[in-house]
Amino acid sequence: MSGSTLSPGKRTGLVLLAALLGFAVLGPWVVDADPARQVLAHSLAAPGAEYLLGTDHLGRSMLARMAHATRLSLLLAAVTVLSAAVPGTLLGVMAAWRGGWAESGLVLLADAVLALPSLLLVLLLVAFAPGDFLPLYLGLALVGWVEYFRVSRALTRGILAKPHVEAARLLGFGRGYVLRRLILPELLPALSTLATFGLGGAVLAISTLSFVGLGIRPPVAELGSMTTELLPHAYEAPLTVLMPAALVLMAVLGCHLLVGRGAR
Amino acid sequence: MDTLAISGLRIEASGMPLVRGVDAVAGPGRPLTLLGETGSGKSLVLGAATGTLPPRLRVTGRVLLDGTDILAAPPRARRGLWGRRLAMLPQEPWLSLDPTMRALGQVAEVYRLIRGLPATKSEEEARGRLAELGLEGAAGLYPFQMSGGMAQRLALAILRASEAPVLFADEPTKGLDADRRDEAGARLRLEADRGRTVVCVTHDVAIARALRGTVAVMLDGEVVEQGPAEAVLDYPAHEYTRRLLDAEPERWPSLPGRAAPRGEVVVSGDGLHRAFGGRPVLRGVDLSVRRGEVVAITGPSGCGKTTLGDLLLGLLAPDAGTVRRLPGVESWRFGKLYQDPPSAFVPHQTMRQALEDLSKRHGVAWNVVAPLLQRLRLSTTLLDRVPAALSGGELQRFALVRVLMLDPVFLLADEPTSRLDPLTQQEVLLLLSELAGERGMGVLIVTHDLELASKLADRTIHLEAGRFASSDVSVSRGRHPTLAEPFGTLTRGQ
Amino acid sequence: MDRHNWRSLLRPILVRLLQALLVALIVGALGFALMAALPGDQAFRLAAARYGPDMGDATAAALVREELGLDRPRAVQFLDWIGQLLRLDLGHSLVTGEPVLEELRGQLGHTLSLAAVALPLSAILGLPLGILSGLHPSGLADRVTLGLSVLLRAVPAYALGLLLVAVFSIRLGWLPPAGFEGWREFILPGLTLALGLAALSARVTRDSVAAVSTAPYMAFARWKGLPERAAVLRHGLRNAAIPVVALLGFQLIGLIEGLIIVESLFSWPGIGHALVHAIFARDVPVVQGAALLMGLLFVLVNALVDLACATIDPRRARAGA
Repeated sequence: MSGSTLSPGKRTGLVLLAALLGFAVLGPWVVDADPARQVLAHSLAAPGAEYLLGTDHLGRSMLARMAHATRLSLLLAAVTVLSAAVPGTLLGVMAAWRGGWAESGLVLLADAVLALPSLLLVLLLVAFAPGDFLPLYLGLALVGWVEYFRVSRALTRGILAKPHVEAARLLGFGRGYVLRRLILPELLPALSTLATFGLGGAVLAISTLSFVGLGIRPPVAELGSMTTELLPHAYEAPLTVLMPAALVLMAVLGCHLLVGRGAR
Repeated sequence: MDTLAISGLRIEASGMPLVRGVDAVAGPGRPLTLLGETGSGKSLVLGAATGTLPPRLRVTGRVLLDGTDILAAPPRARRGLWGRRLAMLPQEPWLSLDPTMRALGQVAEVYRLIRGLPATKSEEEARGRLAELGLEGAAGLYPFQMSGGMAQRLALAILRASEAPVLFADEPTKGLDADRRDEAGARLRLEADRGRTVVCVTHDVAIARALRGTVAVMLDGEVVEQGPAEAVLDYPAHEYTRRLLDAEPERWPSLPGRAAPRGEVVVSGDGLHRAFGGRPVLRGVDLSVRRGEVVAITGPSGCGKTTLGDLLLGLLAPDAGTVRRLPGVESWRFGKLYQDPPSAFVPHQTMRQALEDLSKRHGVAWNVVAPLLQRLRLSTTLLDRVPAALSGGELQRFALVRVLMLDPVFLLADEPTSRLDPLTQQEVLLLLSELAGERGMGVLIVTHDLELASKLADRTIHLEAGRFASSDVSVSRGRHPTLAEPFGTLTRGQ
Repeated sequence: MDRHNWRSLLRPILVRLLQALLVALIVGALGFALMAALPGDQAFRLAAARYGPDMGDATAAALVREELGLDRPRAVQFLDWIGQLLRLDLGHSLVTGEPVLEELRGQLGHTLSLAAVALPLSAILGLPLGILSGLHPSGLADRVTLGLSVLLRAVPAYALGLLLVAVFSIRLGWLPPAGFEGWREFILPGLTLALGLAALSARVTRDSVAAVSTAPYMAFARWKGLPERAAVLRHGLRNAAIPVVALLGFQLIGLIEGLIIVESLFSWPGIGHALVHAIFARDVPVVQGAALLMGLLFVLVNALVDLACATIDPRRARAGA
């Protein structure tokens, strides 16, 4: 996509995400402050020359902590999305193609995952080791693949039923050609939409779980748990409390805007 | 007295004239048909008469309804005529009926809410209208449970309930199965016979013929020819009308007979049976096609004609019976043309990519392509377009190119032209039959159109309910009506 | 003659029953695994889980070991565990020692009363805006609603709640920030939930209304001569309502997720709050019970939505789910 053909909404989304990505990649590097260094004398300092965005209740630089937290969130979300999207898509295409018991089994598995609201299922998986990275990541990926599976299966079934696939077979093209040139290119737009949406969803889920204390826990800087930590100081520094959440908002908003209005 | 009189109608969009100087009249029992292709302006005329044009279009002239100019009336007043003086049979009625209301309710509400009858009386009247149109058993059905023809009759029942004297019909055959189209024409004629003023907009010559009355042929926003249907359709004066009419299969010139070609049999089926979900579709059919021969299969919807073709190509396996194909010939030399040309191409692939992939796959030299394109009258500039940027006729010819690249011995053409306009249909079919001779390939054409089959095929096989019903050897087949000049001299090879 | 007969409703009900069974199996399996993953002696934990903490001593553990046959194969133990779950024998909390069912009963009431505030509130906020936007697509109301709903759907629910607290409790001092005493305490958590739900329902309503108002059957209703009011009431409303009602099933996921977060944020003594706390405390019987209850609630409401859809949309009733 070239920038000139994007709608204003999509362009805004792209700018938001690019800004966040820049902040996440360069921030921890440029802001030469240790996110864990406490200067209790400076606790809850207002934004100023020394601390661009002020400090938290323990006198740690908000800017440094937010940069690290953003990096962590985006990285974990991206890994989660990939871990869900790649197997989900492959299984979906395979199920549609193979049919039979393989398809029935996978559909049953997907239905089982969808039998519960997804956050509830993630919570149950996280319950094995609350506060660890691994169950959080596994939980989100194990719940997330279903959507890619369903979409790619439905689309592939639709494509396989079309006359142009039959025509290609009749013209002597093999399975590899059908997969490479007929199916994958048609799946790509839907999958990238889904993945972009999923990225926003993962950032949101990670910060939400961390906020209730079941995701990533202090002292690691994370956007949701930073909010929890600051919560008791909401009266003294309401803006500081809201700052990490604003970054989550930017990330999710960026993804939604990039997808555009048609998507749910 | 004319119920509806259009005079000097002109429609402009930001200064550009879209419709110029249209005059036409219609009265009780004297229907008016506006005949023309998409973009001819016929639908705009209808919009002006009904008052449904978008406000950005400037309309001048007069539309008199019983002597009063309704074009000048304010929108509210025009809307007041709907359902009382003017009625509209919509395009694709199954989309225009409320999907969540039963048939009876949709008719009865006209009596109840517009004509103010009490509920029981309304229902009684509504049942009467349904019965008149043969829908007495359908009162409790929802539109999605009806066929296209039933939905159209239900829409007519609703319009009869309103008893508006003027009935407009917008493309009444759009989306209907081919074998239901004649029925639609006859039904409109019946409305005219009941004393209504029918105004119909269509591209379908058969409707104009069935409706009789006045025909106005439109081209590029102008009426190029107007008069009684018999005169215009039998003795067309304008060159465009003539071309439009000549494209109808029954008008294709009948030609002296010639013995059918006797090459080797390329594909044959013996005692073919096939059922879907326990319902038998084919029940013992025998068929063979020789090189250079054109065979047509006809029959009503659901008679199994498409299934038969797919069995011969090996796309389906028969439940019983055998299919034999010419031994030693690769499977891809048995080709297929599809009913809906855009769906037979990969949506994101240009023609060039599609053909290059094919030439690579089979090691066919690319220089085979250019002469084929020329033979099928396709410009090489079209190669870089995707399917969505090509017309149905162009796509169907590209589909032929792609089949011909592989030197086919047999071609199944499943309703290859039913989605094409008449002029393109004629062109594609004549090409197909010429190529059968030139290339010595057997062609099996599946069609609902008996006229077309008898003009085109050496033999026609009629299927009914999955069985062989009858077969004709066509006597008209042999030489063919010629296309445009440079290609008219091609002769058939043996 | 066709009519809504019980057969057309039987299939969706069966499907939902199967789903309920699946929910019980998944929750039970995870609960069993969680139990096994807890540190310490299985028998002590099971004794406590089954009979309360007083019984969590060595004698009881020995009894349990004997009675439950912990030496039996895992598969048999698992079937036993699931069997208990299916009889709704949820055991005792490892923390309070109260029967889980008793604890959940009280919490369920609080959760339901919060949902009962949030759902109507979201309808009051979302539906009129959606209808207004749908009647004039690309108009001012449509663009404002679109902007608001995009923004609201991107805000984390906890941040939205915090923002409301910051404005209405801290700055304006109008409403209590948390607690559970009277109707005033319902407003902020209810509004947090409702805003999130309304953001989606307003858009779905808008799309549905926009589609129906330009649908050919509305044009034909006018062509019949029906006055605008009659056309909208008789043909517009029911058709426009179909996607909105169907959305309820989807909204429910949002509602349950929202409840977990909002209850935690506002210390609302409901099931979501209990679930999160139980996970902290590794109180497996409560985790399992709360998850089971929420899952079954989810299935139940989905079944009701199915029924509602089948009632207003004849196509769906015929399709059999």
